[in-house]
Amino acid sequence: MNPEILAGFSSASLPGSLVATAIGTVLGLIVGMIPGMTISTGIIVVLPLTFVLDPTLSIALLLGIYVGGMTGGSFSATLLNIPGTPSAAATTLDGYPMAQRGEAGRALSIAITASFVGGFFSFLCLYFIAPVLADVALQFRAADLFSVVFFGLTVICTFAARSPVKGLLSAVIGLAIVTVGQDPVMGTARFTFGNADMLSGVHFLTALIGLFAVPQLVDNMIAIARGETENRAGTRVGSVLPKLADLKAMRLPTAIGSVTGAFLGILPGAGGPIAAFISYDYAKRFSRNRDRFGKGCVEGIAAPESANNAVTGGALIPMMTLGIPGDPVTAILIGALLVHGLAPGPLLFMQRGDFAYTLIFSFMWANFFNLAIALASVRLLVKLLALPKALLMPTIALLCVIGSYALRNSFFDVWVMLGFGLLGIAMRHLDMPVVPLLLSLVLGRQLEEHMRVALTGSSGDVRIFFQSPFSILFLSLSVVSIVWSFASERRSGRVRSAPSS
Amino acid sequence: MRNKNVAAALVLIALGVVYGYLTAGLPKRSLPDTPDPSFFPWIITACLLVLSLALLVQGLRAQRDAREAADTAGGLRAPTVFLTLFVVYVAALPFAGFVIASVPFFAALMWLYGERRWGWIGIVSVALPVILALAFRNGLHIPLPTGVLAGLLG
Repeated sequence: MNPEILAGFSSASLPGSLVATAIGTVLGLIVGMIPGMTISTGIIVVLPLTFVLDPTLSIALLLGIYVGGMTGGSFSATLLNIPGTPSAAATTLDGYPMAQRGEAGRALSIAITASFVGGFFSFLCLYFIAPVLADVALQFRAADLFSVVFFGLTVICTFAARSPVKGLLSAVIGLAIVTVGQDPVMGTARFTFGNADMLSGVHFLTALIGLFAVPQLVDNMIAIARGETENRAGTRVGSVLPKLADLKAMRLPTAIGSVTGAFLGILPGAGGPIAAFISYDYAKRFSRNRDRFGKGCVEGIAAPESANNAVTGGALIPMMTLGIPGDPVTAILIGALLVHGLAPGPLLFMQRGDFAYTLIFSFMWANFFNLAIALASVRLLVKLLALPKALLMPTIALLCVIGSYALRNSFFDVWVMLGFGLLGIAMRHLDMPVVPLLLSLVLGRQLEEHMRVALTGSSGDVRIFFQSPFSILFLSLSVVSIVWSFASERRSGRVRSAPSS
Repeated sequence: MRNKNVAAALVLIALGVVYGYLTAGLPKRSLPDTPDPSFFPWIITACLLVLSLALLVQGLRAQRDAREAADTAGGLRAPTVFLTLFVVYVAALPFAGFVIASVPFFAALMWLYGERRWGWIGIVSVALPVILALAFRNGLHIPLPTGVLAGLLG
């Protein structure tokens, strides 16, 4: 066996790593479960910890949160009819009706088991596909790398926004922000106004805290101001051990969810919510009991729950092999690795193969822990649904400040975080997605660097981008994704206007 | 100007113009036949202006078609209060330090998030910042700003 695989497995299986993965999973289940908190918020809360922890422990902790968070969302979706995370929205369709029938424990056991199968399938995809893809990516030259990054950005704009113009604008704003500081090729100071703090540019983790946590804090405050009461978990959970009959009924929808989720996870920007709804739809089409969907059937819970967990491993594939994050969580993972001097991308497998496999096996453990911890402690964990927001939200606000300050011990970063918080609120108000902006902050420097290096190599000849088959493929896919998103916007506009006319 | 898309587009066009102006002022330090530091910002300027104009056109069309109602300003109160508090807190941090600045900030937020038991607010808003400061300093070796408590926590 490849010694790097063995080294990675050993490193991920050390007691410290396992404890970090388990703690991460518990935290993930909690943050995923509580409505008003997302997986990103959970990760932001522990972000300062990852700056000081060993990279192996940091990544184990973060992966635990990622995997646990996806499953935790189903708890509140089932018990309260409120998805804890957007990815669990489809689970409410059948999870809540089943819980209403007095079978909350059964619904949760199906969700937890399906989550494990989806997550484990995506681990297998990650284990087998990522090294191969990394090998292919090693052949990429600057023009190909530019095209891959460009494709990643355009696809995110397509998936993340209802309006492609707004999605693209969000990405362009991010690219404009990323040009602040030293340029990546010659080191020339750009848009710094002579301020030394701005020379190193905006750190995207600081931006991320502002963009995601601050609008969420405000949203929760608006909900309280409107007099919306907090939901308390009142439903009795009962036994959560999966029944054989349910396991049999889960086979087909779980397979559909796992494959759909892993595939959509690989596409940047598609993410858990889309995968969950598509899987639900397919599971319904292939089911013999279509009329039972929406009334609390096993298939209606298994399909979306396997899909949203399968997304996690899928999203790690482009992150690890190409350095392209598929969602905010993988963007944070890139940030956490960069803080430790580890740059995800094809070179990660070549230069730090042991670490790449540590990450893959930590992900595997996270899925096992998720199954064990969720089944063993779901009855205890759901009591935390009663945690008051008056305690939770101010604590998150303090941790946002600590997280942005601790990154570089700089008050400038705290102001930057607050500025991005304001931007996040404004963008939410305009129905403009923040994910393309965030991913531009992650990918912007690479995009510029690869473009300029390619053009320097060709003495400024732009035909360099149309000479390699990889580059042509990814640029064509980018054009297709943009055209497709404009076409579908036009179509949906016609559908909307048809009834009124 | 009732349509927020139109307003956003106009702001973005203005930003695009300013960004283009600043790009024009960037130093030219390049080898022959290679892109200089302003090359990428020029592409961004062009994209920003084109997309903002597209948003403007979409906004104007939507206004003609639907005359959509302007958003109520009522929803702006919570963000304004929250951000004002946050700005004051961050401004106070370097001088007052993490613990001293966090106590009133935490208490105010607890109240805004619906807590009305003053005794509970008092206990938690003092205890939590102290616990966090000590945990980060002693547990994680991340010193938070100490401000006026420099001798006690530094």
